[in-house]
Amino acid sequence: MSQKLVDRLRAEFGERILETGSQHGDESVVVAPADLPDVAAHLKGREACELLLDVVGVDRSELPGHRDDPERFEVVYNLRSLSRNHRLLVKVRAPEGRDVPSLAGLYRSADWAEREVYDLYGVRFRGHPDLRRILCHHEFEGHALRKDYPIERGQFLSAPEKLIQDHEIERAAHRADDSRGAVLPSDLLTVNIGPSHPATHGALRAEVLLDGETIVEARTEIGYLHRCFEKEAEDHTWAQVMPYTDRLNYVSAMLNNCVYCAAVEKLLDAEIPPRARVVRVIVSELSRIIDHLVCVCANLVDLGALTNYWYFYNVREGLYYDVIEPLCGSRLTTNFTRIGGLGYDVFEGFETAIERNLVKLETAIGEVTGLVARNRIFLDRTVGVGAMTPEQALDWGFTGPCLRATGLAYDVRKHAPYDGYETYDFDVPVGTAGDTRDRIMVRIEEMRQSARIIRQALGRGLPAGPILADDPRFALPPKEKVYGSIEGVMNQFKLIMEGARVPAGEAYGFGEGGNGELGFYCVSDGGGRPYRVKVRPPCFPIFSAFGEMVKGLMIPDAVAILGSINIIAGELDR
Amino acid sequence: MQVMTDLFARIFGDGLSSLGLLVAGGLTMALIMALVMASCAIVFTWAERKVAGFIQSRYGPMRVGRWHGVLQPVADMVKILGKEDIVPRDADKPLFMLAPFVIFVGSLMAWAAIPFAPGFIAADLDLGLFYIFAVSSAATIGILMAGWASNNKWSLYGAARGAAQAVSYEIPLALACIPVVMITGSLNMNDIVIAQQGGIWRWHFLHDPFLFVAFLLYFVASIAEVNRGPFDLPETESELVAGYHTEYTGMRFAFFFLAEYANLFLVSCVATAVFLGGWQPLFGPVFLPGLVFVIKAVLLVLLQMWLRWTLPRLRVDQLMHVCWKVMVPLALVCVLGAGIWMLATGQAG
Amino acid sequence: MSGDLVFYGFALLTVLSGFFVVASRNVVHAAFSLLFTLFGVAGLYAQLGADFLAVTQTVVYIGGILVLVIFAVMMTRIPRGDAPRRGLDRAVPAAILALLVFALIYMVIVGTRWPERAAGAPEATVAEIGTGLMTTFVFPFEYASLVLLAAMVGAAILIRERAPADDAADADDAAGEGEVRS
Repeated sequence: MSQKLVDRLRAEFGERILETGSQHGDESVVVAPADLPDVAAHLKGREACELLLDVVGVDRSELPGHRDDPERFEVVYNLRSLSRNHRLLVKVRAPEGRDVPSLAGLYRSADWAEREVYDLYGVRFRGHPDLRRILCHHEFEGHALRKDYPIERGQFLSAPEKLIQDHEIERAAHRADDSRGAVLPSDLLTVNIGPSHPATHGALRAEVLLDGETIVEARTEIGYLHRCFEKEAEDHTWAQVMPYTDRLNYVSAMLNNCVYCAAVEKLLDAEIPPRARVVRVIVSELSRIIDHLVCVCANLVDLGALTNYWYFYNVREGLYYDVIEPLCGSRLTTNFTRIGGLGYDVFEGFETAIERNLVKLETAIGEVTGLVARNRIFLDRTVGVGAMTPEQALDWGFTGPCLRATGLAYDVRKHAPYDGYETYDFDVPVGTAGDTRDRIMVRIEEMRQSARIIRQALGRGLPAGPILADDPRFALPPKEKVYGSIEGVMNQFKLIMEGARVPAGEAYGFGEGGNGELGFYCVSDGGGRPYRVKVRPPCFPIFSAFGEMVKGLMIPDAVAILGSINIIAGELDR
Repeated sequence: MQVMTDLFARIFGDGLSSLGLLVAGGLTMALIMALVMASCAIVFTWAERKVAGFIQSRYGPMRVGRWHGVLQPVADMVKILGKEDIVPRDADKPLFMLAPFVIFVGSLMAWAAIPFAPGFIAADLDLGLFYIFAVSSAATIGILMAGWASNNKWSLYGAARGAAQAVSYEIPLALACIPVVMITGSLNMNDIVIAQQGGIWRWHFLHDPFLFVAFLLYFVASIAEVNRGPFDLPETESELVAGYHTEYTGMRFAFFFLAEYANLFLVSCVATAVFLGGWQPLFGPVFLPGLVFVIKAVLLVLLQMWLRWTLPRLRVDQLMHVCWKVMVPLALVCVLGAGIWMLATGQAG
Repeated sequence: MSGDLVFYGFALLTVLSGFFVVASRNVVHAAFSLLFTLFGVAGLYAQLGADFLAVTQTVVYIGGILVLVIFAVMMTRIPRGDAPRRGLDRAVPAAILALLVFALIYMVIVGTRWPERAAGAPEATVAEIGTGLMTTFVFPFEYASLVLLAAMVGAAILIRERAPADDAADADDAAGEGEVRS
């Protein structure tokens, strides 16, 4: 399907499409920077590519075959059409110091994504409305993800950034006066919500300009939890990156493990054993349930309904203690999957432990919906608060429950099934208004659907067989072989010390994360370490819309919205 | 206070002048009230945690004091006494230090007019009910003081919310009591309780449908008046960090805390006296009046706790909407309706 | 004798805090010390046997007017801390004016023939006042409430003008909110 799209593009643009490529099922086209706006506008207008998922920067200065390429940087725009279900990577290449036209006017999700590329690679985007650093501190020198930026070089920076300037406050005050024909001049007040605030559930910062309690202007700042995941990944072997993925969305770590593995396996063209596939589905759905439980209960706490927290948290703890911890030895930092399969097999009583907790989950869902679903205060606080239309949501790059709350039934598990999701029978719940209530209710219903998938998987019985592919390229040999044969020892030694040799190339592996599409764009140079790993965290584009979503609302609404869009600072800042 | 004055008169005979008796009796009663207030606050912090635990399928405090953590509040008190007393550098120091006491004193003064049992009332004022509303309004000043003096925007927001809420909800609170005053023809708390003699059917909240509604209005407004969930907007932890007492630590914070629980009990006591028959038992003759009174008030407190742990919180504009557009008109209707009812049933004098 | 003691206590509180209200260079402190002045005056009323007046003083002045005063002071753009010292150019006329007012009050106090009342337990006044308001003084009472109603409506209209689009805001609601905002 996507191949046809590339053909049509060739027919439309002819020579202006410089290169086309197809690797591991990902279609890509290369265009000259000057042609990018035309091609993107055509793709959005004619080919229904409504969603710009991510913008990836790659520094090719150390990539074999490109060392002397004057076009040092590659910027990859990851486009997706939901209605026609095709996807395309549009690449532009730029030498050092050359601008690339910005797509921020076409896709609002490009705003932050391009800022990130600028921040980490120094590629400037022409026409970008607000090209500032985003993940690194505003006084940071150099660009951290360039290959010539030494990984050891730390910079000690602490000066806070003022997001709303004095003259802007003055101007906003005048606007407010004019709009209401005020007798007395307005006095507006800036307040920092975060980085350390009870409602931010992590280190986020929003500086808001308040008129009374009404938010006139909101600016967000992220990066407080930036710990250079992507730079670190380039310094470790493919397998060593796994524990770092736990720390991205630490609420549903196993989902990160699974999707990261899927991306690397895509590069390796590896097939994983059926048992591992089914277990991955089960743990993914368990993680999704946990993710939604935490999001909804924290959201309800923000709304003042504290008791629901325990009703849901008890279930989460049950799942952790009864299932996740026996499975991999820890609760949050699971490090469960391996490239080519799983790290550990399921324990005895796995099925009954899950079933027991799913029953608890259903009870808890019943209790919580009983408390809030028809509660007048809850409805007053959430209905119409932070409402998004489907168009707006797509424009901002929403995926997952926040997109489905607007009424678009887009789910990666249905649109691009992986791990055998096509064989399971489940529904994609959608909302109608895209407001806070719908986001909460979609999440609650998704937990029911996840439970349904898990029951189907368990009902069929786990397939027998190994949990790890028997492939010496990437899978560690069993201990008998390591201790019993010289090939085993060598294989083990090579894999541990040098890492799995992943064939050169690039692949975008993605799956449905707890909060939307989670993707890993991986580039390999054929060595044992990733050349580039780019995470596509679902909450990054969602949080970019936060400032716009809360404008004109009140502080309590902002808190309710922030809870409902489920920002996990770990994956937001990486 | 009569009880105490009599007691002193008996002990000292003619050795004390009448005013000396008055002062001595008053001081003793004030001391007793302060102790009652402090201890009820202490008991209620424990009760709140157990109630919350019970509702939230957990235990609450279990360790200190062997049985269900009964000594937990004592341990907390000791801990809080040992806390550093922090005054922010840029705070308005005199006001910052004064604010907790203003709130505490405002609450303490109101206790004087609560009739716990026949004769056991610190100040048997003719204007008892009016007096309670009057002095508890001083707490608003304390909230404003704390919010301003902290020099913290969140505190200021909490204070502004708290003051607006207190000033607004005082109106339905007082209006809801007016039908009772009309029926008894007195603002004296003792008289109001005595008028409800003769079993539960004589209690004011069952007097007529309007009074029943008035009781509900009073109950809701009283929750808002003491800033508790679902009306805990001045100190919403998820929005305003901790509202007007964000910057307070140690004993100063404890004063806010004590005042909150004391007020919680206070409004329940007023509801008991005004609507639920005070020390009058369900039926039969007066029996252990003090205990009956306290049981009724504690049940109301538990009800308030139950609500707090069940309902989400309102938004600030919704809070005002409920007060001005729903409760005040409804309370006015109750006043009018109760008047008409009295005329119709021939109770009007 | 000991009644005098209570009186002097309240009088001292009133005068001292009143002096502080005038003398303080910090306008917020001045507003807050009004609390004690008003409370002291309420105490004096109670001493005089005017219990209804005392409690009304507390409700209206402390619970209502003072809150509004503090709101207004806090929410306006005033420099934090102390106001700068000024020269004598204002102090002298102010002192003269104050002396004149004092002289006037003193003359009134001395010139009035005060009704004598037997000392004793103060009588309850609330029933009397209530009856009075509903019979003898019913017209002034109703007239006053009419004036207040007009004032409220006027205030509501003023606020309305400021926020024409905000039709959700109730008049009284907006009045409360307006204090917060302005």
